[in-house]
Amino acid sequence: MSDELDRIRREMHAVLQQPGVRPDDSLQITRRTFIHRSLLFGAASVGQTFAWWPLLNTIDVAHAAEAPFKFAWISDTHLYQKSLNTRFVDKVVRAVQEVQAMDPPADFLIFGGDLAQLGKIEELELGVDLLKDLTIKKYYIPGEHDWYLDMGKKWGELFGQPNWTFDHKGVRFIGLDTVSRGPDYWTVKKMTPEERMGHMATLDGTVAGAWAGVGRDQLDWMQKILADWDKSKPIVIFSHNPLYEYYPPWNFWVRDWREVNDVLKPYTKVTNIHGHVHQVLYNEIGSMRSIGMLATSWPWPYAPEGVPKLTKPMIRADPGDTYDGVGWETVTVPADDKVDVEYIMWGRKEVLVQSDPDSSLSQPEKLRPRIADNMWPY
Amino acid sequence: MTIRATFLGTLCRPSFVVAIAAVAVFVGPTSAHKAPHTPEQLRQYEDVLMEEVRKGDLLFHGDAATAKQMNVVLSTTGMACAMCHPMASDTHPQSYPKFQVETSKFATLRDMINWCIEKPNQGEKIEIDSEAMKALEAYITWSNSGSVLVPGKH
Repeated sequence: MSDELDRIRREMHAVLQQPGVRPDDSLQITRRTFIHRSLLFGAASVGQTFAWWPLLNTIDVAHAAEAPFKFAWISDTHLYQKSLNTRFVDKVVRAVQEVQAMDPPADFLIFGGDLAQLGKIEELELGVDLLKDLTIKKYYIPGEHDWYLDMGKKWGELFGQPNWTFDHKGVRFIGLDTVSRGPDYWTVKKMTPEERMGHMATLDGTVAGAWAGVGRDQLDWMQKILADWDKSKPIVIFSHNPLYEYYPPWNFWVRDWREVNDVLKPYTKVTNIHGHVHQVLYNEIGSMRSIGMLATSWPWPYAPEGVPKLTKPMIRADPGDTYDGVGWETVTVPADDKVDVEYIMWGRKEVLVQSDPDSSLSQPEKLRPRIADNMWPY
Repeated sequence: MTIRATFLGTLCRPSFVVAIAAVAVFVGPTSAHKAPHTPEQLRQYEDVLMEEVRKGDLLFHGDAATAKQMNVVLSTTGMACAMCHPMASDTHPQSYPKFQVETSKFATLRDMINWCIEKPNQGEKIEIDSEAMKALEAYITWSNSGSVLVPGKH
């Protein structure tokens, strides 16, 4: 597996990181920390006040918006039914309250997928119920956990078309569906919908294979909707999976990243914001920059290989605190050509690793894929 | 005094030492006639390991049937070990034993497995030398084969 990964990564480097190719030179990355006013909300009601005063880390990315604005991102809530687990419900409630309390308010919310854990109707409806307290405009893209029980039927009924586009204050926004085009691993094995979902819901499963992809039809659609867009004007693309190759065994990629790059190559100010990885990630691929977002549910460890060199890793989470290593984000697009992504990690003064012992990457590990899910009777 | 002197004198005789060695070689311990390992034996040993790895893999990934069969309740929250530790990542079996921050004690991997079962998973702690514990340990260490041993590493 590792040799294959090395081969692909060399190829990605050769294809995407050609001399002189990178996001617009005016886009300088800076990181700074400050206290976010929206987090004053609720401070009085909680004893552990430090948990309500996190310092936020920001990544600044330049853009050319017509007017300053701000939007919020929540994803990877992985809701179970309340009867089984209220831990994840509580965190969605908290994120919703905090987004609602933003002042000035966010222009809209992007929900980046994996609302449900096992794609159940009750889980998806619970998500809708929790998010309805948020009164700003909401846009949804699907995650694999939302999709593979009924192949997106309920999700479609609740949220409509999984891919979409709109313009807002001089920025073209695109939402992609990177989950629904997985290869059919269930028909031959005569799986029930629950079994199909079970394999899909296991990040390190080996049965569902390379399910993450954009697909030729959606690439054509993206090309079409970008045809009239000025090459130097900003584009922000939302996807559940990262639009490059980080770690395929966990589908931390889309399998057709080469084709995605072909479509986006002419545009110089492209930002991809994605979920799925449950961790802080930053990468530049060709002329696109890519930013990974936190989950509200739980953090994933960094993959044993392939972490982008440009990523400043997030702090190793305390496994005894369900509010650690998770949270939500605001994205600010001010008039001075910047986009600030603020990681709002609950209960942390420092979101990013400051020294080696606080990094999960400080202990190198060599891992092998699991075996039991590929043994009869599956 | 006489006896001791005689005994020491006897031991000092090279011919006697050789005689004892010869007897040891010919009589030897009862299992002295060992045959070299056969490929079949090696396969059996491997099978024993991999059966434990398989069971541990299933327990680690929240397989209800295996948990029931082994009479353990590893989680009551819907969470399984693999949800935070895909491919047993971030379990770091190579770093044990060590001072465990969560328990403020010097701990083995098995202690930490039980902590995860009881705290994040809100399941029922398992016996330290139980079949389920051995299977989980087998899966976690097998998954991390090739990682370098650094006991005590935080």
